[in-house]
Amino acid sequence: MSERLAKLADVLVGYSTAVRPGDTVRIEGHSPTTPLQRELYRSTLRAGGHPAATLVVDETVESLLEEGGDEQIDFVPLDIRWNLEHGDVWIALDGPENTKHLSGVDPAKMARRVKAREPYQQRYLERFDSGEFRWVLCGYPTQASAQDAGMSLGEFEELLWRAAFLDADDPVAAWREFGEELERVGSMLDTVKELRVVGEDTDLTLGVAGRSWKRSSGKNNLPDGEIFTGPVESSLEGTIRFTFPASIRGRQAEGVQLRFEGGEVVEATARRGEDFLQEMIAMDDGARRAGEFAFGLNPAVTEYTGSLLLDEKIGGTVHLALGRSVPGTGGENLSALHWDMVCDLRRGGEVYADGELVYRDGAFLDGAG
Amino acid sequence: MRDPRVEKLADLLSGYSLGLRDGQVFRIDGEESTLPLVTALYRSGLQRGALPYLQVRPTGLEEILLHEGSEEQLSHISEGETLQSEQLDAWATIWSSANTRALTRVDPERRRIHLAAHYRMVNRRWERISAGELAWCGTLFPTQAHAQDAEMSLADYEDFVFGACHVNDDEDPIEHWEALSAELTARARELDGARELRIVGPDTDLRIRVEGRPWIPSDGRHNMPDGEIFTSPVETGTEGEIYFAFPSIFQGQEVEDVRLRFRDGRVVHAEASTGEDYLRALIATDEGAAVLGEVAFGLNYEIDRFTRDILFDEKIGGTMHVALGGGFDEAGTQNKSDLHWDLICDLRQEGEVYADGELVWKAGSFIAEPAAQRV
Repeated sequence: MSERLAKLADVLVGYSTAVRPGDTVRIEGHSPTTPLQRELYRSTLRAGGHPAATLVVDETVESLLEEGGDEQIDFVPLDIRWNLEHGDVWIALDGPENTKHLSGVDPAKMARRVKAREPYQQRYLERFDSGEFRWVLCGYPTQASAQDAGMSLGEFEELLWRAAFLDADDPVAAWREFGEELERVGSMLDTVKELRVVGEDTDLTLGVAGRSWKRSSGKNNLPDGEIFTGPVESSLEGTIRFTFPASIRGRQAEGVQLRFEGGEVVEATARRGEDFLQEMIAMDDGARRAGEFAFGLNPAVTEYTGSLLLDEKIGGTVHLALGRSVPGTGGENLSALHWDMVCDLRRGGEVYADGELVYRDGAFLDGAG
Repeated sequence: MRDPRVEKLADLLSGYSLGLRDGQVFRIDGEESTLPLVTALYRSGLQRGALPYLQVRPTGLEEILLHEGSEEQLSHISEGETLQSEQLDAWATIWSSANTRALTRVDPERRRIHLAAHYRMVNRRWERISAGELAWCGTLFPTQAHAQDAEMSLADYEDFVFGACHVNDDEDPIEHWEALSAELTARARELDGARELRIVGPDTDLRIRVEGRPWIPSDGRHNMPDGEIFTSPVETGTEGEIYFAFPSIFQGQEVEDVRLRFRDGRVVHAEASTGEDYLRALIATDEGAAVLGEVAFGLNYEIDRFTRDILFDEKIGGTMHVALGGGFDEAGTQNKSDLHWDLICDLRQEGEVYADGELVWKAGSFIAEPAAQRV
């Protein structure tokens, strides 16, 4: 384990965030991630950076949302602010102890907290887009995430490491090679004006003309493996049903189905958690529009685990995010929300690019484009 | 399971020590092992309307930095850290580690470089505290490592720590500390009139000039537990000999049976039964390290034993301590040093203290109630 953690730390510090001498590097994650935090700390020192590591303590978020008043919920801690406005590198580890810890919390308060952080989110995404700031979110195996995936911790670890290409002799080389594959798909998509996604209870068209497709190969997420853009805000028409439960900040909605007209959600239903869904999309104007559309392309991620970081990368899926677009894609949607929802196309799903079938049963067709 | 004493300690810290108010930006620092108190303090801060946030460090980072960091990395303080220390209204530091000796084998020079940077931050913090801009309190959360140092079980050690803080079930902690504060303040005002103290005990006869230096009560505002009164001696006015029966610890390293001889305020002879080289190296840290920056009476009688943690040891009821190195501005010190090393002298059995020739303390306690309280 510790050898693998050292290897993982080297990927995150050396490749994903490419830490340079003098960089300030903020490392954060839940308690279970401290073994990796130590490796990251060491790896950052070796790269000449200045690491600072801090624990994410979910209990305080629970207390805040249960007991805090508006001013307290709106408060963004000084260290977080500074990092987003002035830091060089941010490495966040996702290793939850209890993925449902916010289940009892009022969604309106949660939405308020998200909204208060929006200006800083926006600022860091802009700084990221201009190259001033580098960040990565890395999954870390815990009992809680293994439990959500319905497997043992050992099994979940294996799955996660495989998905992060850590079983390769040289994981960085593996990610670079994978990046070249993404490039082939990306250069095809760059020429497309309109996509149509067809699947079970799903027939959605979206305009992508003039938008950039970002190739995501281990720089900002680990595991990684997707290609995404910000669709033209007013272009979405039709219906999409998401196969997997849609989770955000410890809460979830299952069986989510959305109908778009003129780019806006006009109907949103869920088999479970519909109130939560409604609360989230009512957060602000942008929360009703899509900020991202993406293809999941990691061949080593094959099954749903309940961890978004993995699920949105499942080879053979697409995902759509309600809310904020990612700077650099050309997307212009502003919102405090960014909620990814995944639709599995591996059984009978199709994607048409400007009318031509380019993707079927979860894979791009040879010679597509 | 939540220990109600932890919640009570948190309320004491936020309500009494820090006096948290609406809208105050409040940072809580600690290591991973302090989480139960950190989270209780966070909640307590919220309940008082403050804006709390955490800085909880994973265990084991400092040794990586000290073993592997470059000099530049060792002395680095991020702009973000500096900025926060300028903007905070309230700050709690929860000391505790999972291993109190993790840094024992670190190269002392590298340690010195790192500490010097750390003390720059600490000094700035004290400037803001003195100016009334910042409320700060340091406390300890009981862990196995600290229990081990104290040679106690964790359960016994918890009783000891919470007892010293007066947060047991049947106690009203704020009432206790307010009463103690009044008593210590009265005692301090009384000592303000003294020109010279003479401490007499086993192998000890030391005269310390304190004329013109105000005595300061430590009443639980900046440390919890607390219970001492201290001042900074006149730099040239220490004469004689003192023996420290308790081990003297600095940064986890122990020196035993320390004996110091002072002339004109400076250490002219230092010996120890173990760790003598370390003792001499510390005294040679800089000019000010051979001069006393502090003299104090330990007055927390719940603390009745030596536990190898200065937060407690310096307050053992019936002891006195002096510190080599930097003194306190609010006590009128002129002594500057990167060192501040508290050494504890046990006066509980046969100690005597004279103030300007008059016996004021015998066998571990002041002879009379402070004047202000006698009426």
